[in-house]
Amino acid sequence: MIYSPEHRRLMEMFEPARHQEYSEVLSSLGEFMEKEILPISPKLDTGAAQINGPRKALFEQGMSQIPFPADYGGLGLPFPVYATAVELLGSADASIALSVEIHNAVAEGVFRYGSESQKEARLEGIITGKKLASFALTEPSSGSDSGTMATTAERRAGEFVINGSKMFITNAGEADVYFVFAKTNKGPSAFLVDAPNRGLGFGEELEKLGMRGSKTREVLFSDCHVPEENLVGEEGKGADYAKEMLHGARIVVAALNVGISQLAYGKALAYAKQRRAFGKSISEFQLIREKIADMKSGINAGRLLYLYAAKLKELGHDYSSEASQAKVFATEMSLRVCDEAIQVHGGYGYTSDDLHRHWRDARLLTIGEGTSEVLRMLIARREMARSS
Amino acid sequence: MKIAVCVKHAVDETELKIDSSGKPVLAGAASRMSAFDKNAVEEGLRLKAAHQGEVVIFTVGPAESRKTMKEALAMGADRGVLVAADTAAIDTMRTAGMLSAAIKRSGPFDIVLCSEGSSDTYSGQVPPMLGEMMGVAFVSYARKIEVSGQTARVERSLEDSVESVEAQLPVTVSVVSEINEPRYPTLIQIMQAGKKPIEELSGEQLSPAGAYREASTASMSAQQSARKRIMIEGSPDEAAAKLVEALMKEGVLSK
Repeated sequence: MIYSPEHRRLMEMFEPARHQEYSEVLSSLGEFMEKEILPISPKLDTGAAQINGPRKALFEQGMSQIPFPADYGGLGLPFPVYATAVELLGSADASIALSVEIHNAVAEGVFRYGSESQKEARLEGIITGKKLASFALTEPSSGSDSGTMATTAERRAGEFVINGSKMFITNAGEADVYFVFAKTNKGPSAFLVDAPNRGLGFGEELEKLGMRGSKTREVLFSDCHVPEENLVGEEGKGADYAKEMLHGARIVVAALNVGISQLAYGKALAYAKQRRAFGKSISEFQLIREKIADMKSGINAGRLLYLYAAKLKELGHDYSSEASQAKVFATEMSLRVCDEAIQVHGGYGYTSDDLHRHWRDARLLTIGEGTSEVLRMLIARREMARSS
Repeated sequence: MKIAVCVKHAVDETELKIDSSGKPVLAGAASRMSAFDKNAVEEGLRLKAAHQGEVVIFTVGPAESRKTMKEALAMGADRGVLVAADTAAIDTMRTAGMLSAAIKRSGPFDIVLCSEGSSDTYSGQVPPMLGEMMGVAFVSYARKIEVSGQTARVERSLEDSVESVEAQLPVTVSVVSEINEPRYPTLIQIMQAGKKPIEELSGEQLSPAGAYREASTASMSAQQSARKRIMIEGSPDEAAAKLVEALMKEGVLSK
């Protein structure tokens, strides 16, 4: 049962007024994921199945509609409900969760910063999953220091012409809409680039350690013309928009990692109870029990942290530090849990794709969407500012 | 076409725990719509898609049964009728009595659909009892239903054969799980299901205690399967020969 009684109790605490309704939604979504996504997850890792079909089915269920207002085709549910849905998806398949999380970060960017005509043209399509979205910020030589980006957008006769490249871009080559950051005379700015576009190209699919079900490529801009009205928000404000979009995404990445951890922990616990050594179940050994205790405590702490940050966001409070805390803690916790799950399984853990893929999947997210190192700086800076 | 579908809010057998004496722990057990009932709802929705009309969900149970009712409404049914009763305290005959009274009160219906049995107790008694009490033809184990005019043509899935029968409407039909693949309600359908009407009736009023001679459950315990724990050792060839010998001794294989 992906949506567990623990989730239900937490929903009651975080969303007391309508928790039953939200639990019905999450329980049904969890059942769908358990039956339709979880069984093909190992095949997505090995390449025996492709992401398009299950992701489309998930969009049709309404996964991306959860946090957006009904005016744009959304369900208007609170952010903690959406974050919990991503946790469930992280347990069903981390690659699809990553792809959907990034897609939704773009939806939030268009919703928050886009013009009415941009929203009208694309938002409902993105929210309902009819249009797949991709977020293109990182470059071959710049990551978290987005101010040093080399991709440019030059204004020419009612258009912007984009040149440069973006690296490690999830959903690249598949997406219909790219949320692209490029420098104009006024600094980093955000643009919507609709595919296909003659000036838009893609590198080969990158071989990755984990998250193998999702597609990652370099995105290449070579005199890529976009109409002036594709500029998102104010020219020169792109870095601020990217920062804000990533704050929300970090809560969701934390949830995703809690989901991965929960699955790995469940497998480790079941194996520990069943595997025997020296005439008894290994779950009776103190050192295995220590692992179980630490894994479970870490998962619960990670879950509470992301729900706390999600609630702050929902209530309109500053949540940048808490979102980063949740991401740093949950991603690092997830690596420990998935590593211990391998350890509990012994040789079977090291040799089973179906087990070590959780560690390989989790490994991405102390890097992607803000490294732990950069986020620790951000947390400290924010906390020092709050205390002064 | 007016279609009635009967569903049960049943104990989730996949989550059921057994206590040390071998008895299922029913107090506080997780519950949900009986698995096969989703096939009955799905078939009702398919018939409605083909012939138009209305799908009405009926259930007998405690207030918690609203969860199951809402799930069926989220799948696409139009409205629901909840017959309030303590299902643990009534037998299958009385359940069928309450259902038939509620269906007659809300009817007439062209077709009444049930699943072959509930996924918790699986006695399979309610559907035929209901057919009898409705005073209409009853067709069990349907794996395919086609309605043309006033005739229902039904393929029945029997143990070693498939039987095709025809019945005049109105008819009561129990379906097997192979009849269809139930749809998942979308999240928006789940949220909108809360706005669909659910009428609540009193089971006691529809079918008062004493209306039937009721059966009671003397005991319920988990099935115990004794294992002989025969270990066969040796090379693959030797083990295969010993396995064949052991299976013949048990009467599983014969010469």
